[in-house]
Amino acid sequence: MKTEQITIILSTLFLSVTLLLTVRPVFALDVEALVRQVEQQYMGASSRSLTIMQVKTSHWERTLEMEAWSLDRDYFLVRITEPAKERDVATLKRYREVWNYLPKVDRVIKVPPSMMGGSWMGSHITNDDLVKANHIEKEYDLRLIEETETYFLVECLPKNDAAVVWGKIVYRINKTPQVPEQVDYYDEEMVRVREIHFDDVQQVGDRIVPMRLTVLPMEKPDEQTILQYRELVFDIPIDETYFSLRNLEKP
Amino acid sequence: MDLVRLAWKNVWRNRRRTIITLTAVAFSIMLVQALHNLSFGVYAGMVDSGVRAGTGHIAVYRNNYLESRDENLHFRVGSLIDDISQIDGIEQVLPRLYIPALAQSSRESRGVMLIGVDPDRERQVNPFLKKLPEDGMIRASDSRDAVIGVRLLDELQIRLGQKFVVTAQNEDGTLHSELLRVRGVVSSGMKDIDGSLILIGRGRAALLTGNSGSVHELAVILTNAGLESEVHRQIAAKLPQDQDILAVSWEEAMPNLANAIKLDYASQKFIFMIILLIVAIGVINTLLMSVMERMREFGVILALGSKPMTLRCMIMLEAVILGLLAAAIGTVLGSLATWYLVAVGIDLADFVPETLEFGGVVFDPIMRADWDPVWMFRIVVYVVCLTLIAAAYPAIKAGRTTPVEGMRHH
Amino acid sequence: MLMTLAFRNLWRNRRRTLLTLSAMVVSAALLILALGVFSGMFRDMLASATEQYYGHLVLARAEYHERRDLFAHLDEEVASRYISAEDTEIIGISPRLRSFGLISLAETSQPVEVLGIIPEREKRVTSLQNKLIAGDYPSDAVSNGALIGQGLARKLKVRTGDEMVFVTQAADGSIGNDLLLVTGIFATGDSRHDNNLVLAPLRWVQKIMVLPGRIHEVAMTLADPMLAAQSADRINAQLPDDVEILDWGDLLPEMREVIAAYDVSRMIIVSILYMATGLGILNTFFMSVMERTREFGILMAQGMRPWTIRGLVLLETCILGCIALAIGLTCGAVMTLYMKLIGIDLAEYITPVTYAGGTILPRLHAVFEAGNFYVPAGMLLLVSLVAGFLPANRAARLDPVQAVREV
Repeated sequence: MKTEQITIILSTLFLSVTLLLTVRPVFALDVEALVRQVEQQYMGASSRSLTIMQVKTSHWERTLEMEAWSLDRDYFLVRITEPAKERDVATLKRYREVWNYLPKVDRVIKVPPSMMGGSWMGSHITNDDLVKANHIEKEYDLRLIEETETYFLVECLPKNDAAVVWGKIVYRINKTPQVPEQVDYYDEEMVRVREIHFDDVQQVGDRIVPMRLTVLPMEKPDEQTILQYRELVFDIPIDETYFSLRNLEKP
Repeated sequence: MDLVRLAWKNVWRNRRRTIITLTAVAFSIMLVQALHNLSFGVYAGMVDSGVRAGTGHIAVYRNNYLESRDENLHFRVGSLIDDISQIDGIEQVLPRLYIPALAQSSRESRGVMLIGVDPDRERQVNPFLKKLPEDGMIRASDSRDAVIGVRLLDELQIRLGQKFVVTAQNEDGTLHSELLRVRGVVSSGMKDIDGSLILIGRGRAALLTGNSGSVHELAVILTNAGLESEVHRQIAAKLPQDQDILAVSWEEAMPNLANAIKLDYASQKFIFMIILLIVAIGVINTLLMSVMERMREFGVILALGSKPMTLRCMIMLEAVILGLLAAAIGTVLGSLATWYLVAVGIDLADFVPETLEFGGVVFDPIMRADWDPVWMFRIVVYVVCLTLIAAAYPAIKAGRTTPVEGMRHH
Repeated sequence: MLMTLAFRNLWRNRRRTLLTLSAMVVSAALLILALGVFSGMFRDMLASATEQYYGHLVLARAEYHERRDLFAHLDEEVASRYISAEDTEIIGISPRLRSFGLISLAETSQPVEVLGIIPEREKRVTSLQNKLIAGDYPSDAVSNGALIGQGLARKLKVRTGDEMVFVTQAADGSIGNDLLLVTGIFATGDSRHDNNLVLAPLRWVQKIMVLPGRIHEVAMTLADPMLAAQSADRINAQLPDDVEILDWGDLLPEMREVIAAYDVSRMIIVSILYMATGLGILNTFFMSVMERTREFGILMAQGMRPWTIRGLVLLETCILGCIALAIGLTCGAVMTLYMKLIGIDLAEYITPVTYAGGTILPRLHAVFEAGNFYVPAGMLLLVSLVAGFLPANRAARLDPVQAVREV
C-alpha cells in the first residue's frame, strides 16, 4: 500500500511530464530536468504511517489498525496494533523477500515464493502486490486516451513480453489537485477484474495525497478492502538497518 | 528302445483315460502359458508407457536428486546429450529442468513445478503429449509457450491462448518472472497430471533461473527394454567422472511401477503353483490307477524274469511320455492362444474407461500378449518333472511287488 | 438298501475310493485357498485406498470435495442427526475439520493439510495408527499433539518432541497460528500423505480456524465395504439437499476402475482354476466309473435294473463327493486361516506400491468369504455328479454282455 502510493504518485508525476511534453513541446527540456529531479526525490523517499484497513468478504468483516514504515520501494515494515488478538503481528519486506512475525507463537516465518500469490492479512491485496515494485513505465506503454477539464485518462498497455498478468491498466488522474482518482485493472480479454479508488485527498508536508484507497474485486461485488491513512509522514530519518528481522519481532 | 515302445503302447491301452488326462494337463498348460504371456505383454506395455511418461529406461542425475529433489542439484549438460545419443539402442535422450515456481493469472495464483524440456524430443516420446494437435506444442526451446494440464488451467482461471506469469527463485535468492502463454492443454484423465503439469521450453526455463545449459535430469528412452543393462554400462562410461553424476535404472527411479509388476507376478506365481498342483493331483491319480490295475500283469512280468528296475523305468517312461505329449499339445495350444492375444488381445474398454492408473502409469485398455518363450519352456519342464515325480510313487510300488503278490491282485 | 450297497461298494474298493477322494480333497482345498488369496488381495487393494484417509463413506456439504472450501462447514452433531446409532452396517464414524496452511520451522516452510480429528473415533475409520514409525497417535492427553508424515518430517527435519508453527487463514479472516507438537510420525508409502498430511486434535483445529463446534465432513467405515454404494443411497435419501454422502468409488474413481479391471483378471483366473479342478475331478471320477463297466455288466446280467445302476452310482458319487467336500473344505479353511493370519511377506523384495489412490502392502494373504466356500463346493459336487453319472449312464445302457466284455 505504501509502496503503491508512492508508485502512483511518481507515475502521476511522470505522466504529467509526458503530457506536458506532448501538449506543450516548448517545455521539453525543462520537463526532462524535472523528471530527473523527481526520480532522485523518489529515491530518498521514506515514510511512516498509521493506517486502518477494513476488509469485507462474503464470509466475514474485519478491521485492522497498523503502523508502517517504508524506505524507497524496497523496504517495508508493518505492525498491527489493533485488534488485541493480532497485536504485534508484523510483516517485513526486504526487496523481494517477505517475513511474517507471529507474536502468539513468538516465531518468524519466511513466506516462500509459492505463497506470494496469497492475500496479505486476508485482504484483497496480495503478498505479491507488496513485493513487486510497480515499475509501470518499464513494463507498460503509457498513452493518454482522454482528457476532460477535470481529469486525464491514461491507458497502460503491457509491453511485448512484459511479465505482468494484466491486459490493461487505466488511470484516471485528477487535474487539480494532481492525484489519481481511480485505477482499473483488466485481464487479457479486457474484462475488468479489479478497481482501486482513491479519495480523501489531503496535504501532507509538501505533497498532496489521497488518504483512502478502496480495492474492489469485480467478480465478488460484496467484497472490498479499504485502506484509510490516519497519519502519514514523509522523509523520516530512517535507513535500511531499521528493516531487520530483530525489529520485526520487537515492538 | 523296446522299453520306450512298450511304454508308448501301455499309455494308449486305455485310450479314454489317457485322452482325458492329456486334455486336462494340456489345457492347464495352455491357460497358464497364455495368461503369463498376456501379463508379460501388458507389463511390457506399462513399462513402456511409464518410462516414456516418466524418467526413461535409464535416467541421469546428479547426486541424490532423485530422492531429495533439491533444485540445486543440476549439472551442465555440455555435449553429454549428443555423446549418449550415439550409443546403439537409444531412441531418444530427454533433457529436463525442474523449477518450483509461482504461476499467476489475473485472478488466481498457484504453486507449481515447471518442467523445462526440449520440445521436439519430448513431443516424439511423451505419451501425455500424444493427443495434442499439430500446433499445440511448444514451438522452440526459448519460446514463451507452455503446455498445461486441464485442471491447472481451470484453477488459474485462464484458457488456451491466454497469458500467465511465472516467478521463480534464482540460486542467489533473487526472484525472477517470465511471461508465458498457454499453447497446448493436456487432458490425461489423471487428476494428478491434469492438476500439476506445466511444460515449457528448456531455454525459457533457463532464463528464469539463470541456469542455461544445465539440467536436473536426462531421461534416456531405449528402442528395446531388454537393452537396458548393456546401455546402462555404456552411459555410465560416458559420464564425467569427477562430477557426482550417475545413471539410474527405471526400477530405481520409478519403484512404484517396478513393484506393482513384481507384486502382480508374485501373486500370479502363487496361483500358477496351485493350478499345477491341482493338475499334478490328477496326473498322480491317473498313473496310480493305471499301475494298480496292472498289478497282476506286473506280477507275471516279474515272474517271467524281468527286473524290478525295468518295471520302474517303464512306468517312469509312461509318465514322461504322458507329460511330454501333454506339454507338446499344451504348448501348441498355448502358442495359438498367445498368437491370438498378440494379434487381437482383450479389449477391456467395456469394463474400464480409457484412463486407468496402475503403478502410476496410464493403462492401455487393450490387453495384448507378448511372447515369453523362455518361460513357456520352463513351464514345460516343470510339468514334465511333475509327471516324473508323480510317477515315482506308483513306480516304486510296482517295483516292490513280488511276482506272487502281483498275480494275486485282482 | 441301495445306500448300504453304495457304502459297501466304496469300501470294497478302498484303493480306488481313496484315490478319488484324495484327488477331490486336494483340488478342493487348493481351489479354496487360491480364492481366499484372491479375496485377500482384493481386500488389500480396497483397504489401502480407504483405510489410510478416506474411509468408505464421507458425509459433507454437496460439492465440498471439489474445492474443499473452508467455509462449507457443518454442525458437529450432523452425523448423529442423520445416522442412526443402531445402524449395524456402520462400524466407525469420525467427524473431521480440514485446514490448509503452512508449517514453519526455522527457514523452511511447507504447505500442508491439517486434519482435525477425534483420535478415538478416527482410529475406527482410518488406520494410520498401524503405520507409525515413531512416537504415538494423537490423544486427548496432548491438546496440540500432531501426527505427521515421514516425507514431511524429513523435509522439515523434525523428530517427535519438536514444535512447529502452523499458519492458516481462519474463518473470521484472521491469521490462525499456533504451535503443534510432533507426537508421532507415520509412513504409508504414499507420498501424497507422507509429504502433506498432519493429523491433529479436532478441538485444536477448531480453535485455530475460529470454527467452534464445526466440521467439514464425517468419514465412516462399513462392515462390508462392497456395499458402500447401497448404504450411501440409503442414507442420501434422508439427507437435505445441501448435504450429501459419497462412497469410496466416488471419492476414488481411479480405484473403482482398478478394481473393475482386477475383477476381470480375477474372473479369468478363477475360471482357469475351476476348469483345472473340474477337469481333474472329472478325469478321476470318470475313470473310476468307467473301469467298473464290467462290474456293472455282471450286475445287470444278474438282474439289476439299469436305473438301479444309475442310482447306485449317483449315490456313490454323492457320498464320495460329500465326504471329499467335507474334508476338502476343512483343509481349505485351515490353509486359508494360515494365509490370513500369517500369509507370505514379500517386504524383502517389494516396497509398498501406490496406485489409483491407494497403497498396497507387499504381502500375500487371504480373507474368509462365504462365496469362496459354497461356490466351489457346489461346483465340485456338480462336476462329480456329472463325471460319475455319464459313464454310469453309458454302462447302464449297454448290453450286459458287451459291458462284461469291456476291460
